[in-house]
Amino acid sequence: MKVDQSLPLEYSTEQNKNNILGFWVFLGAEIMLFGTLFAAYFVLADRTGSGPTGVEIFQITPVLIETFILLTSSFTIGLGINAMRKGNLKAMITFYVITLLLGLSFLGVEIYEFVHYAHIGAAITVSAFTSTLLTTLGTHGAHVTFGLVWGILIVYQLIKRGLTPETANKSFIFSLYWHFLDVVWIFIFSFVYLKGMI
Amino acid sequence: MSELFPLKQVMGFALSIILTIIAAGVYFLDGISFPIIMTILLVTAFIQAGLQLVVFMHAGETDDKSAIYTNIYYALIIALVTIFGTLLCMIWGYL
Repeated sequence: MKVDQSLPLEYSTEQNKNNILGFWVFLGAEIMLFGTLFAAYFVLADRTGSGPTGVEIFQITPVLIETFILLTSSFTIGLGINAMRKGNLKAMITFYVITLLLGLSFLGVEIYEFVHYAHIGAAITVSAFTSTLLTTLGTHGAHVTFGLVWGILIVYQLIKRGLTPETANKSFIFSLYWHFLDVVWIFIFSFVYLKGMI
Repeated sequence: MSELFPLKQVMGFALSIILTIIAAGVYFLDGISFPIIMTILLVTAFIQAGLQLVVFMHAGETDDKSAIYTNIYYALIIALVTIFGTLLCMIWGYL
């Protein structure tokens, strides 16, 4: 394995570079996936049938909490990558653990939100609006859930093996995934919640 | 300690918080017309997305820069064509 010392560890081998580029291609596909979900949601957002409308069910407080939690977690994982590039494994693991805890609290608030929706008569089968809403939110939430499991395994490997070209590469790719989830949430926050609440 | 909190990322985080507050402003302020609201939301959302990409995802720092951006632009075009094409044939065409 040829290691190029002039590059950050996560880019240091040919395999690593290809892994990162490959993951960007995957993120491209994810952009299209969420594009189709948004398309369906925008078309059906007013088709509420006999169910509630967006203005009736959306609450600003949990949405703002979720937004700030996810923004902060995106910042802390960025600091984790910065610590990794400085070779500071301890700080990196700390930032990753903070990120995962924030991810977990995000998920907690989202689960509360879903239970609340079901409670007030906005379950997934009620109308075209609630099905597309909960499918879009749920797809994002499922990604966060998957990210939590993935992140725990990354932290476990970091503790066990330390910083190697492989673990650095995996950690960097995981950080790309996490930032991407934040980007998707920004669009959900703006065009599902805020647009739906005015 | 400061080497663990690089200025670029701290500024990026502060800017994303500010943009979020501006976007949330459309809910808390009354009397803004719908086109203005959509303009504010579109501008803040896309600046924030770009911020994540450049500051936090380090998209423009390596040799694969052009491949990364080509891929992202391609995905973005497909997503936007899907969204606006769907709106055009399902809603706007029947107004």
